[in-house]
Amino acid sequence: MLQAIEVSYRLPEGQEILRAIDFQLGRGEKVVLLGANGTGKSTLLKVLNGLLPPTTGTVSYDGRVVDRAALREAAFHQRFRREVVLLFQNPDTMLFNPSVFDEIAFGPRQLGLDDVDKRVHHWAGELGVVPLLERTPFGLSGGEKQRVCLAALLILEPKVLLLDEPTANMDPRSTGWLVDFLADINQTTLVTTHNLSLAGEFGDRCLVLGEDHRLIFDGPIQDFLGDQDRLAAANLVHRHRHRHGATEHSHFHTHDWD
Amino acid sequence: MHIPDGFLSPQTYLPAYALAAGGWAYATRELRRRVDETLLPRLAVLTALAFVLMTVMLPLPGGTSVHASGIGILAVVFGPWLTFAVVSLVLLLQALVLGAGGVTVLPVNALAMGLGGSVAACLGYRLLAPRWERAGLFAAGWLAAVVPAALVAVVLGLQPAIAHTSDGQPLFFPFGLSVTLPAVLIPHAILGLGEGLLTVLVVSFLRRR
Amino acid sequence: MKDRLLLLGYAIAVVAATSVHNPWWLAGGLLVVAALAGRQAPTIGWRALRAVLFFNLVISIGYAAGALFGQAVSLDYLILVNTRVYLLIFLTFSLASKIDILRALSFSRNLSYLVTLVLSQIIPFRRLFEDLRLAAESRRLRRLRLRERYLQSAAAAVHLFDRAEHDAREIALAMRSRGFFQPEATDNAPGD
Repeated sequence: MLQAIEVSYRLPEGQEILRAIDFQLGRGEKVVLLGANGTGKSTLLKVLNGLLPPTTGTVSYDGRVVDRAALREAAFHQRFRREVVLLFQNPDTMLFNPSVFDEIAFGPRQLGLDDVDKRVHHWAGELGVVPLLERTPFGLSGGEKQRVCLAALLILEPKVLLLDEPTANMDPRSTGWLVDFLADINQTTLVTTHNLSLAGEFGDRCLVLGEDHRLIFDGPIQDFLGDQDRLAAANLVHRHRHRHGATEHSHFHTHDWD
Repeated sequence: MHIPDGFLSPQTYLPAYALAAGGWAYATRELRRRVDETLLPRLAVLTALAFVLMTVMLPLPGGTSVHASGIGILAVVFGPWLTFAVVSLVLLLQALVLGAGGVTVLPVNALAMGLGGSVAACLGYRLLAPRWERAGLFAAGWLAAVVPAALVAVVLGLQPAIAHTSDGQPLFFPFGLSVTLPAVLIPHAILGLGEGLLTVLVVSFLRRR
Repeated sequence: MKDRLLLLGYAIAVVAATSVHNPWWLAGGLLVVAALAGRQAPTIGWRALRAVLFFNLVISIGYAAGALFGQAVSLDYLILVNTRVYLLIFLTFSLASKIDILRALSFSRNLSYLVTLVLSQIIPFRRLFEDLRLAAESRRLRRLRLRERYLQSAAAAVHLFDRAEHDAREIALAMRSRGFFQPEATDNAPGD
């Protein structure tokens, strides 16, 4: 339902961030987007969310091209923004309302929905942030902010969730919670991460951005994770010396660094 | 106020540099005395912030927006001397790195925005805030937009009188005070409303925690 | 040293260009500066033209319109002021493309530390600011009311200030850990 067709993105200064990216997300699919730092994962999500216009190529949603002209159309704009949502890597950037309640209510209020109060309480309950409703979003911890942002997005009942490094600001307990939560929802999700030990938990298909900013793999995640050469080529594993008693050797491996 | 170089006479900008240099020396001494070892990094970070903050959009009715200056906020939160230092650095970098803003206008802008604007903002705030906190903040933002504009308008408007040919033709900026004052002040008095509103919101958000 | 000389030469050229009132001399100066810029001259020339075009057009047309109201208007003035402004902006752009600002400011240790820090901070701030803008756009479902847009702008500014405060403390700690400050200054150092 969300498709990238030969998408390239170049900064105004000329640096190329994405090169000829081509893939399609099916309804209800759970996809993981892997890539080393600086390969363009965040940029790709912003392009898919219609926030950055691709330099060449197109993004299409449900058969409709998502470009400036389409987004200027109020009806399509509203539908697209409501159905395709993006959780930014830094949750702070998304929070601008005076209270957590207002933050979650921001979407439904824009849509002029009734029973905003009920909806907010429902989603605050789902995400476990009911006790925070009266607080200001600025004062929350990283994990709490992430949950508030998710509540603010899910209340729109989106069809596609784009999540940019959602575990980056989370402690292990919140991370475990998020993995379970995403497994239980039936929306299409595309989750970026550079944490290989978690990648398998977020989906069964994986897309990999290489350091040349091209899509270097699209397929079952186990095939990719089991392929040392591909992992090394994508700069997702490393090698260094290990000492085990008197023997010293080195092999490719990863660390759980998040 | 993006006046290019070439509209101010040396009779204006050379004394302005002398005056600003005095201000910079005094500001450095004051800040060293008052602020601890975070001074250098704080100045640096705030300058980088101001560089970017000047691109924070001030929403206007009808979906358009203009650049905010943020001087009212800086002045109320950090005082006039730090604001003066930060604004001067921003102008220096704009001139030398981006080649924007102009070096002859620099001391005039630094004095008008950095010192005139921030001192006016602080005075307005101190006068009103004990009774009406929000009115004080609003006044700070409004004054920080209007006072620098007025000062620059005066400096520009005096150019034909300061530098002209023997037959009365101007050599630099051509219009007198009767043109510059209304042309600059009226739009800034309106833009100042937005700046004032932003100052109220930002400073009260900052203080709520 | 080269960069400080450039800065000095630039300052002298600016004072000269604002003290000479003969457009022929100024045009000659422009030729000299363009020759010095070498192959970059067309690029700089075009950027300089775009930078001054709007302001100078407004002023020039406004001045010329004075003729309609019976004021004495002189073509000489228009030529003089436009040549001068263009020469100065050309000079500034040439300088900006040639100078290494950190070396030029190396006469003051603190000023060059300061400018280094500022330059290193501008990029992260700009990136953060861009993200704030995109996040607001991403969550916008309809045209927002003025009040909502002000709240967003203010929240963005608050977030930037928070980041600034945090970064300033971090940098101060890092500088202290690298032995930048004199020992007596550590007494009133900030805690976190």
